[in-house]
Formats: sequence, structure tokens, C-alpha cells
Amino acid sequence: MSQLRNIAVAGHGVEAWIVAAGLRRAFRARPLDVRVVATPAQPARIGRWTLPSQRGMHSLLGVNESTLLAQTGATFKLATEHFGWQGEGSRWLHAHGDIGAEMAGTPFYKFLLNELLAGRRQAPESFSLAGTAATLGKFARPMGEGRALTAGFTYGFHLDEAGYSRFLRAHALGLGATETSAPLRDVRVGENGCITGLVLADGAEITADYYVDCSGAAASLMSRVTGDDREDWSAWLPCDRMWSATAPALDDPPALTRTFAGSAGWRWRAPLAAGSLVGHVFASRFEDEAVARAELQAFEPRAGEPVLTSFSAGRRRRFWAGNCVAVGESSVALEPLAGAELHLAQLGLARFLELFPLDRASTIEADEYNRVMAEHADALRDFTLAHYRVATVPGAFWDAVRSKDPPARLAERLDLYGAGGRINLHDHETFEETDWAWLLLGGGRTPDSLELQIRLQIEKFSAQEIGALRDHVKQLAASMPRHLDFVRRVQK
Amino acid sequence: MPGPLRIVIVGGGTAGWMTAAALVSVFGPAHRQVRLIESSEIGIVGVGEATLPHIRFFNRRIGIDERELMAKTQATFKLGIEFVDWARRGDSYIHPFGAYGSRLAGVPFHHYWLRQREAGDPTPIEEYSLPIMASRANKFALPAEDPSSVLSTFGYAFQFDASLYARYLRGFSEARGVQRTDGRIVDVKLRAADGWVESVKLDSGEVVTGDLFIDCSGFRGLLIEQALKTGYDEWTKWLPCDRAMAVPCENSGPLTPYTRATAREAGWQWRIPLQHRTGNGYVYSSHFISDDEAASRLLERLDGQKLADPRPLRFTAGRRRKTWNRNVVAIGLSGGFLEPLESTSIYLIQIAITTLIDYLAPASGPSTDAGRFDPRIVDAFNRWIEMEYDRVRDFLILHYHATERDDAPIWNYCRTMPIPDSLAHKMELFRTRGHVVTYKDGLFLEPSWLAVYLGQRVMPRGHDARADLPHGTDIGTHLTRVRDSIQDALARMPMHEDFLQMYCPATLP
Ligand SMILES: Cc1cc2nc3c(=O)[nH]c(=O)nc-3n(C[C@H](O)[C@H](O)[C@H](O)COP(=O)(O)OP(=O)(O)OC[C@H]3O[C@@H](n4cnc5c(N)ncnc54)[C@H](O)[C@@H]3O)c2cc1C
Repeated sequence: MSQLRNIAVAGHGVEAWIVAAGLRRAFRARPLDVRVVATPAQPARIGRWTLPSQRGMHSLLGVNESTLLAQTGATFKLATEHFGWQGEGSRWLHAHGDIGAEMAGTPFYKFLLNELLAGRRQAPESFSLAGTAATLGKFARPMGEGRALTAGFTYGFHLDEAGYSRFLRAHALGLGATETSAPLRDVRVGENGCITGLVLADGAEITADYYVDCSGAAASLMSRVTGDDREDWSAWLPCDRMWSATAPALDDPPALTRTFAGSAGWRWRAPLAAGSLVGHVFASRFEDEAVARAELQAFEPRAGEPVLTSFSAGRRRRFWAGNCVAVGESSVALEPLAGAELHLAQLGLARFLELFPLDRASTIEADEYNRVMAEHADALRDFTLAHYRVATVPGAFWDAVRSKDPPARLAERLDLYGAGGRINLHDHETFEETDWAWLLLGGGRTPDSLELQIRLQIEKFSAQEIGALRDHVKQLAASMPRHLDFVRRVQK
Repeated sequence: MPGPLRIVIVGGGTAGWMTAAALVSVFGPAHRQVRLIESSEIGIVGVGEATLPHIRFFNRRIGIDERELMAKTQATFKLGIEFVDWARRGDSYIHPFGAYGSRLAGVPFHHYWLRQREAGDPTPIEEYSLPIMASRANKFALPAEDPSSVLSTFGYAFQFDASLYARYLRGFSEARGVQRTDGRIVDVKLRAADGWVESVKLDSGEVVTGDLFIDCSGFRGLLIEQALKTGYDEWTKWLPCDRAMAVPCENSGPLTPYTRATAREAGWQWRIPLQHRTGNGYVYSSHFISDDEAASRLLERLDGQKLADPRPLRFTAGRRRKTWNRNVVAIGLSGGFLEPLESTSIYLIQIAITTLIDYLAPASGPSTDAGRFDPRIVDAFNRWIEMEYDRVRDFLILHYHATERDDAPIWNYCRTMPIPDSLAHKMELFRTRGHVVTYKDGLFLEPSWLAVYLGQRVMPRGHDARADLPHGTDIGTHLTRVRDSIQDALARMPMHEDFLQMYCPATLP
């Protein structure tokens, strides 16, 4: 039985409440005291989009999705649609679902690669239910099992930050987490590098067996334990600022997030049930904050007062040190392109639960946690960066991104794909082969060749079967409700 | 596409014929021309007789009929490996091809077992594994497809006569167009421009050219090492055994559906039961015992009359620096050697073959030799094979290192030797809290590590905190139910021997 009796979670938002709720729920059988200590709010995010793994998070926390939608005005997300990344007028989609269906034991995207090699380009989304539905503005939840097209996709969410945070707070408190009387003022660290207590603004001091840092970029606790011991990714991912704002509701918005490549970064737009969100992510080295702000204004003249968030792409070398664990954005800073920020918080929580220390002295858990989380973080960085590697936008910002050699693992992956259309994954990765296929196909990367044994399988595909697949996808998508109609129905 | 790839396989042992069989069945004649050269004068190693469940995927992929294969190779079924005397003399544990119990609330089963054990429940973990219980009872049945059945919780492999296996694959391959030549290669010619292999010359004087050469020439590494000087990473400091004596004997007692590995004074002894005989061998370190003594110890410890004189073998644990170098791919003993403790060599052959098949991508432009093997693909292939070897290596070292034995110099050495950091980390995690480090690719899943940790007496001090479920959740009842379902299934399983008679009685060659 673990000797840990109490845990302090420092943070002020979504991540802190996720961790608090997750801890309470996993150990509800035991007297584990989970206290949330508010940290100074930084310029808050306006909202966010998530990966489908947020569904798993909700079930881990015991969150009912319909209640969530009803109370927060969240919407669904089937895909991200990227505009202009391959030059003016270009567009590609990354849907959260299969591309086609496996035929003759071969992933269907290989067929599209084979077509590309023959000079015929076909949009992957016309073979993907999630992709087609998203494009048509439709939505339904996946259904059925196994190989059914209706089972071959999933979805994430678009969330209003304040609403989601409030919702999770109530949920965590309902599960028995508590809040301290006042926010954090100071962190006491002992000589052995362990936190000995937190001093609150009202002078009270609290101690815990373990401390989880969910304070975001400030890393209020971890920065006191390991200082600024970070790996810097900004040469690969120079974007370091984001203006974001709320905007009026979109007319009949599809269940997707849109991004638009710009001269020094990219803008985005995401739907909510009763409003929408816009943002502009940019590199301050290439664009002035004021210019960037004007750009967002031009992009969405009806937007409200924007807020500026700053970050610097990179990750901590140690996510867990002594009795302190940095979860989410306090450990990894990544622009929101892949929508994986909450996924990182979720992984951090899940791994912490799995390695939940049995006593305070043991350090092997931290070693394992750091090993696995670093792999995850690096893989997410690579996926984010890959969007830039396949982009063909001209300009100083884009040239700078492209001129820097990618990290070895990404270089190897792009090389292998470039040579023979093969996508190999490592142990701890969030995005799967299909996600990479969406990205590489969508980004217009044509491999030099394709694996021989795959070609032989593709020869067995019949044109009729392929046509039938496309028609079936179209029919199924057409039969789905409109996205917002579905949301409203769920909200009731 | 360019014309057919001219593939020359050098060597006709297990590796050579597995490669030939796979290449001709996956690729049609329009794409390849496969020629195999072997020397009956030199012969084959022919001792690889115990396999892993993965071989069934190989068979399925290339279209080998399992019953026919078993009947023609005197094969028996294998549900795991019994390790005798490893952590302490008198110990016995089985590394099964299958799971222990099933996950509960997202937490691996063994944490509940550990928890109950801390609370005083003495039930050995063996009782939660159907393949172990079946092995102990010498029973066998084919696994079920239905995931809700306890009969779906295991896999199986084969134990077969290696020479008959090579012969079987030869027939299979020749029927599909492999051209075989019996002859000794006396010279290898490299292309002046880039050092790629251009041709090999036989003792008959014939010169054989090709695009891709597969080196299956055994330990000597005729092409990969002798011709290309690729280099070898040696792992003897962790895996000190460097010799073996092999001897077949008559069967006696019930036919066991498992291989046995018994720790000895300078290594370990294998026992592999086949339908017509039992294969035996003593794998040892030449530092700790002489060849003569090893041979006589081995002969003293056979269960039946010996059927031949002991045959000596020599090897060095390690891996070729590059499995694929220029236009040569080393498959089998030429690519590396990890001792047969976990029957991994045939698996590593299989992985090299299927990875090669999966990665081969012909240049789409006009055919040039250089373009056929894109270095980006070759590099990725080599990284993959390296990963496979490294993962097996750590697992093997665990058997030697995690021992309490202090009755022989080899065990004192292994118990106290420094081990790779990757393994030390894994062991410490298990010892602290029963956590098994898992990975996506490569051999040995959670149950394998678990079996060997526990069998080698690496006992966790704690368990996953999540296994402390709410009060009122009766874990004891859940565990009893698992045990009962295993006992039920076991009662209905036939004896291994009877099943074999019914399924694949040996046909005489
Ligand atoms: C002691 C021991 C026990 C083992 N037990 C197992 C086990 O239980 N399970 C398992 O999976 N594996 C086991 N192995 C490994 C297994 O035996 C080998 O992986 C397998 O036999 C493959 O050998 P090979 O084909 O690479 O080489 P070999 O069998 O040595 O074949 C080499 C071939 O190359 C040919 N050749 C060589 N030189 C020339 C030349 N100059 N000209 C022409 N031809 C040439 C030879 O004639 C022969 O045909 C064991 C190995 C050893 C040493």
C-alpha cells in the first residue's frame, strides 16, 4: 500500500483540475488528500481544441460527455483543415479516423501513394468517413465494431477555456478534491531538492507528500526544484506568441478546426456552440506583436479583445524530480498546431497514476516517468514540426524553419517515407501511422518509390471496390446530422 | 518497374531455406529470380530445434501448411520453456507463451496477485496461467479464437528436427522456382567502383552474379564479414557462453509440450522433445569447463540412450555491425548469435526476412543497381534489426544475472557482473513495485518478463497502488474464478502425445 497520504496540485486551470480529479478518482478507495493550490493566473487561454484521447480522459475522470457539452458549450472536432500551407489556395485535412479500409492486409493509404506515384492525386478524405463528414459539416459519434466504416473514426473537442475549467473544478471538488484558502506565494525547497512546503498568500503554509506542478509555463514549483533545465526547441519551432480572442458564432460550422498559414506563423478558427474562437500563432522574431494583433483583427474583424500568450517551444529535461512532478504545459511547451497540449497533461496523469510512488524515498519511478514522457514529448514535437517540413510557403519565417535540420528521429522517419513510402513508429507515440499518412499525403510529399510487396497487394485491389468504398463513405456521411444539430441534441 | 531482382542466397541451413521459401512465395517470378548455393560438403549447423509462436505468422504468410510441416519434421508442440535450477538449485519455473489472468480496472493482473500474496495468499502465480498448467500436466489443445474463453490466453510454437525442417523448406522452395546449386564458394568478387559484391565463384569454376546477395553462410559470414569486413559487436562480457555440445537421445517418459533449460556448473543444458527422439545440448563457457568434461557431463545427464556422438559447436555472442551492408544482407548465424536459451535465433531469422521483404522498394526510375537499395531504406532496416537484437539481449542477460547461485564460478561471475543500464533500470522498477517495462515492437511482452523476473526470484517489494481497490471489491473471488476456469479447461485438454497422434503423426521422410 502506498504511504502517500496527501498531494498538493499547484495550478489554476484545466490541467490542475484534471490531475486533481484523476488522482481522487483513481484512489477513491483510500484516504488520499488532494489539495489544489491556485497559482497566479497568467494571461489565460481563450479556448482550445483537443485530440480524441480527451474522450478517454473523460471516462477516466467519470465525466459525462453530454453534461459537458450542455454546461460548457463545447463542440466536436473530427478533423483539422489546413489552408495555404502548400501555397495559396492549397488545403489539406487531417481527420481523426482511418483513410479507407484495409484491403488485402494493406493499409488503404498505400493505394493513394501508389496513385500519387502514377501521377494521380486523390484526396484522402474522400475515402474517410470522418474526413468527408467534417468537410460536409456533418457529425455523428462512431458506431459498431471492427472494420465497419462507422467504427473507424473518433473525435476531439473544441472547448471554451473558462467554461471547461469551471466544469472540471466542480467535478474534481465533487470527487473530494479541495482548494486551499489562498493562492500560492512561495515554495520552500529543502537541501535534498525536495519541496518541503508551500506558503500561501494568506501566510498559511501547507505540506504534502508529493507536489504536482500544473502551473503552466511559469512552472511555479518545478522551476524552483530544477531551475531552467530545459531543452530548447525554438530553432525548429520558432513560434512563441499567440493572440487569441472570442468571436461571434459561425453559421453552421463544421466539426473541424481550421488553420491558415501566414507570413510568420498561422491563424486558426474553432467553433463553439454559441460563439467561436480565433487565434494567431506567430514568431516574435519575425513579426511584431502589434502587427500580429492587427493581423488577427483583419482575419476576424468581429473578434473581441485579444489576449496574448507567450511560450518558448521546448521541454524540461526532468518532468519528475524529487517529490515534484510537472504535468502538462509546465513540462512541455508546444504551439497548439497538433492540439496535443491536454493530451500531454493526460499522459502525465496516467503515467503518474501507473507509477504512483509507494513511498517518498524511491526514485526509480521518476527515472521511468522521465524516460517515457520525454519520448512522448519528442514525438509530439516531431509531429508538430512535420507540418512545417511539408509546408512550401515562401518567406523568411518559413525558410528559417526549413533550413534547420530536423531532429534525428524525424529525419529518419521522413527519409524512410521519402524512399519507399513506409512509416515506422517508435514505442511511445501519440500519433499513429494513419495520422502521419494524413499529414504526409496531405502535405503533398510523394515518396520516390513504394514497397514492392505493397504494390503486389495493391494490384489485387479492384477499381469497383474502390469506387464502392468512396460511394459508401459519401452516403454514410450524407446521412449524418449537421454538426450543430447534433450538439444541440446532446445538450438537451 | 525494372526487371526481376536477381537474388543469390549463400547457404542452405535454416536461414538460407527460410529466406528462399519466403522470397519465392511473396514475390512472383516477374519480380525475382532466386538462386541458392549450399555446400553439402560443409553441411549445416542443424541444431535449432525449438521455436517461438511467431513462426506461425511466418508459415501463414508464406503459405506453409502447419500440419504437414509438423508431420514431416517430427514436430511436437511447445507451450513454453521450463527453467530448472536457475535462481537456486531445486527451483523450476516455466516461461509460458501466454498471459497470467487478465487485466482488471486497467491494471495488469499480477499486481492483484502480488497484493494477495502480501496479504498471505500463498498461491503460486503458475496457477493463473493455462499454458503453464497444461505444460505441467503434459497436455495440449489448440487455442480458441473467442477472446472470452480462457483457451484464447495462450499461443504455441513447435519443436522440430532442424535438418528435416531445412529439407522440407527446400522441397517447398524448389517447387516454387528456387534454383539450387551444390557447390563450395571459393572466391567473392567485389565491384571496383563501389565495393558491392558482383559475383561469387564456385569450386566448379562457375561464376554466379546477382543484384542482392543474402549471406546465410553461418558463423563464418562469407560475404558480410570475410568479403565486406562489416565488423561484429561482441557481447561475451554479458553472455559468457561460447561453446556447445549437442547430442540426440531416445525418448523416455511422457512427451513434454515444452523445452527444458537446466542450469549447470558452467552453463546450461537444453532438452527438446521431438516425436522420434530428444535433442539435447550443453551450452557452456570455455572459461569454466573443458570440452571433454562438458561432453561427459552431458552424456551422464541424458534421459535416454544417446543416438550419436556429441557434436561440438563454437560461437561468440553478439551482432554484426550492419545486417545489411551494400548489397549483402546477413541472415542467420552470419548476422549475429544469441544463445538458444529463449529459442530466439529462428525468430531473428524470420524478422530479418520479413523486414527485408517489407522494406524492399524498387527504384521507380530507370534501373540502376545503386538505386535499387536506397540507403535510407537500408539504414532503417539496420536500425530495426539492431533494436530486435538489443531487446533479446537484455532479456537473456536477466536469466544469468538474477540468480542467487554461488556454487560455481560462472554463476558468481554473472551474479556480480555489471549489466546494461537499460536492463538495470527495468529490474529495479520490477523489484520496487512489480512494474514491467513494455515496448511496442520487438520480442517479449509483459508476461514473459514477469515469468522470468519471478522465476529468477526478483520479488517485488510492492505493487501498483491502483490495485488497492475499494473495500468490498473481493479480489480473492476474482482470482479464484481465474484459477477455476483454468482447471476446467485443463480437465478437458487431451494429453500432448494423444493430440499429436491425432493432429500430425510423423510421416517418414
Ligand atoms: C548450440 C546451438 C543451439 C541452437 N538452438 C536453437 C534453438 O533451439 N532455436 C533456435 O531458434 N535456434 C537455435 N540455434 C540457432 C540455429 O541453429 C541457427 O540460427 C540456424 O540453424 C541457422 O543457421 P544458418 O542457416 O545461419 O547457418 P548454417 O546452418 O551453418 O548454414 C550455413 C550454410 O552455408 C553453407 N556454406 C557455408 N560456407 C559455404 C561456402 N563457402 N560455399 C557454399 N556454401 C557454404 C553451408 O553449406 C550451409 O548450408 C542454435 C544454435 C546453436 C549453435
